[in-house]
Amino acid sequence: MTDDGRVREFVTAFEGLRAEVEKVIVGHREIINHVLIGLFAGGHVLLEGVPGLGKTLLVKTLSESLELSFSRIQFTPDLMPADIIGTNIIVEDAGGRKHFQFQQGPLFAHVVLADEINRATPKTQSALLEGMQEASVTVGGVSRPLPAPFFVLATQNPIEMEGTYPLPEAQLDRFLLKLRVRYPAIEELNAIIDRTTQSRPIAVERVMSGAKVLTYRELIREVPVAAHVRDFASGIVMATHPQWADAPDVTRRFVRYGASPRGAQALILGAKVRALAEGRYNVSADDLKALAAPALRHRVILNFEGEAEGIDTDTLISQIVDTVESSTSQAREPFVR
Amino acid sequence: MTPDPALDRLVRRVSAQVRWRRVEHYALRGFFWASLPAVALLAIKGGVGSLALPIAAALLVLGALLGAAWGALKRTTRADAARLADRAFGLEDRVATALEWAERPDRTPLVDSLVADATARVEALQPRQIVHRILPRETRFLPVPVVIALVLTLAPALPLPSPRLPDFTPGSQEEDKEQRTGSGMLEERSKPESRERLRPPAFEEHEFQARSGASTASTAGDLSAVFKDTALSAQRPDFNSFLKKGDERLKLLEQVDRLPDLASDFTTSQYKMVFRKSKALTGGLRPDQISPQKLKELLEEMERLGRKGGNWSGDVGEGMEALEGGQTDRAMEAMQKALDKMRAQEEAQRAGKGLRGGRDNERGAGSRDRRGGGGEGGGEGEDFGEGEGLLPGKGKSASPKGEASRRLSATPYDVGVEGESRRGRKEGYDTNMTGRGGPMASRLNYLGVIGQYRKLMEDAITREAVPRDYHSQIKDYFQALDER
Repeated sequence: MTDDGRVREFVTAFEGLRAEVEKVIVGHREIINHVLIGLFAGGHVLLEGVPGLGKTLLVKTLSESLELSFSRIQFTPDLMPADIIGTNIIVEDAGGRKHFQFQQGPLFAHVVLADEINRATPKTQSALLEGMQEASVTVGGVSRPLPAPFFVLATQNPIEMEGTYPLPEAQLDRFLLKLRVRYPAIEELNAIIDRTTQSRPIAVERVMSGAKVLTYRELIREVPVAAHVRDFASGIVMATHPQWADAPDVTRRFVRYGASPRGAQALILGAKVRALAEGRYNVSADDLKALAAPALRHRVILNFEGEAEGIDTDTLISQIVDTVESSTSQAREPFVR
Repeated sequence: MTPDPALDRLVRRVSAQVRWRRVEHYALRGFFWASLPAVALLAIKGGVGSLALPIAAALLVLGALLGAAWGALKRTTRADAARLADRAFGLEDRVATALEWAERPDRTPLVDSLVADATARVEALQPRQIVHRILPRETRFLPVPVVIALVLTLAPALPLPSPRLPDFTPGSQEEDKEQRTGSGMLEERSKPESRERLRPPAFEEHEFQARSGASTASTAGDLSAVFKDTALSAQRPDFNSFLKKGDERLKLLEQVDRLPDLASDFTTSQYKMVFRKSKALTGGLRPDQISPQKLKELLEEMERLGRKGGNWSGDVGEGMEALEGGQTDRAMEAMQKALDKMRAQEEAQRAGKGLRGGRDNERGAGSRDRRGGGGEGGGEGEDFGEGEGLLPGKGKSASPKGEASRRLSATPYDVGVEGESRRGRKEGYDTNMTGRGGPMASRLNYLGVIGQYRKLMEDAITREAVPRDYHSQIKDYFQALDER
């Protein structure tokens, strides 16, 4: 197959998968796009929103659209690491000899839904760390690989924080994107009511295999990025650091810690998927601007003043992007330089 | 892989547009900056002559040409041109990425598709001007030098200032000088000629007639003579008279007796210096709490001062003896006597000098004013015991306690006292005066009189003039004052 054919196939597959999810999920087009971007970029996605917005349903529907194993872990305060990773149990063979046998936990699935992840203790949350970063878990000194593709979709509720354990920065950084699920518009709400209160259930077809997902992940990495676009991404990430010499004023005033290099990776990888999903062979600055908020909003830590002023991270990132765009060569006319 | 010719063509086209815009941009800048010396040149065209206008025009052309050349020589990179084309045609960085990646050795298979895609899109484009004109900031101010240059071109030459300094000599001296030497005659003659040329003939005649009777020496054709005889000439600054006045002022400074008594400052007055030291030594302390060593040093200093003609040496000697005998209170009394004598002698010396003005007069007047019912305290001199009635029962005032301050004469409604209890090793009470009378300073210096009051208190207790039951209470009161 030619490269052009591969790209067209990916575009078709992407749109097909999105169409399957949209059979169940009404609206939230951008959220669905970003979840799929996370899937094809090989990252993990954190969905944040109040209860009842369809976060869990979105993930379930996505897993049903893929020919992949799926497991759901409901995080609770008494959930232990062994409950999600698995543990060694003593089994007796036919000869009567006893030995340890590893019993896999629910983490051993292609698509894992970590529902209400902030309700588990940090100990259990950190059990996800190795799995998310290394795609393997270590139990009893033995490292066991997780199935590929491995995709964690976690949800958390921004309200009802009592009795929760907010994810530490190190763990938040493991998520490629953090998506904020917002209330649907009234037309979307009407469609939700119509779809979910009728007697006939909506059937979702499996439209993509795990092997295809891995193939597309390789294709994504071939998308070229021009130097000035890469510089723009680096500029955005660096501009989130208050210590940087050229940091914008908003950053210096409201940000305590900026995004890590993983933020730049997430920005470029997500932009590559977005470009290819639009049938484009290259990453543009617009892709970076579209992905800046979901890729960086959980990596920018506000300082006390930012928290006290109620600064919205998305607004802050938007300002940073605008500042970087106007200060770099992106917007300047070349002939006056 | 080399990029497609269509992409190259697009980039060259954009580069040419950029170059042309640069030429415009920098030519305008060059024109603006060249217009400044051109205007300056036109402003002095009277001195330059007829060449001023061509030179100014040449400057403008040269500035514009240099700017244009600078703009044309500046290079535009292919990446910049490609990025500009991407932005202008909405190509989403396709051209820039294709051009960059087409020549890279690590290009991915997708790059071929990218180049093909970019080429197809570029070929479908309609060529148009995509580089917008950006006027330099100087353009906003360009009309100013242009208008000035036009005005200067059309207007007659501005008169140039004379290199000679203004002459401050009086008219008669100038005449003498002119008679003696004819060195400055050339310039003096040229000036009236130029005025004559600019002035209308009727005005000139009128001037001559108006001044014809003022001076018999003036003639109808002598313009310089007319100028000398005008009232304006009489108002010219006379430097000699200025110097003369300065000399008079310098002579005045030499007459010390007529100067204000600036020498009677605190630091130069022996009495005040010693008085200040004595206050620093005794302030708020009982005689038995005063350091005998420091008191001795002070008495020795007073004795040293007394050797130069003072009449307080006897008192100082008495104080020294008392101090050696361990009688600090007697030493203090002797020191006080010596201080009084020192003050009296200093005042007598000042009166003998017949000095007028300065602080003494001021103080005297202030003192008289106070006696007359002013009585407003707070003057710096009062703090040093020179006023009357400083101590209770002393001074010339009819009142045994001196005259009351205005604070006391205020109505009870004008003055109030507020305070709060003070906790600590010794409980006390801090008070403040409030109301209209509050800000008025007390006429008596607290530190200057508290010791005397304490002495009176001790005398009263010694004489058993105070009931025994109140002794401890009164002593506690003064003890609390000490701690403040």
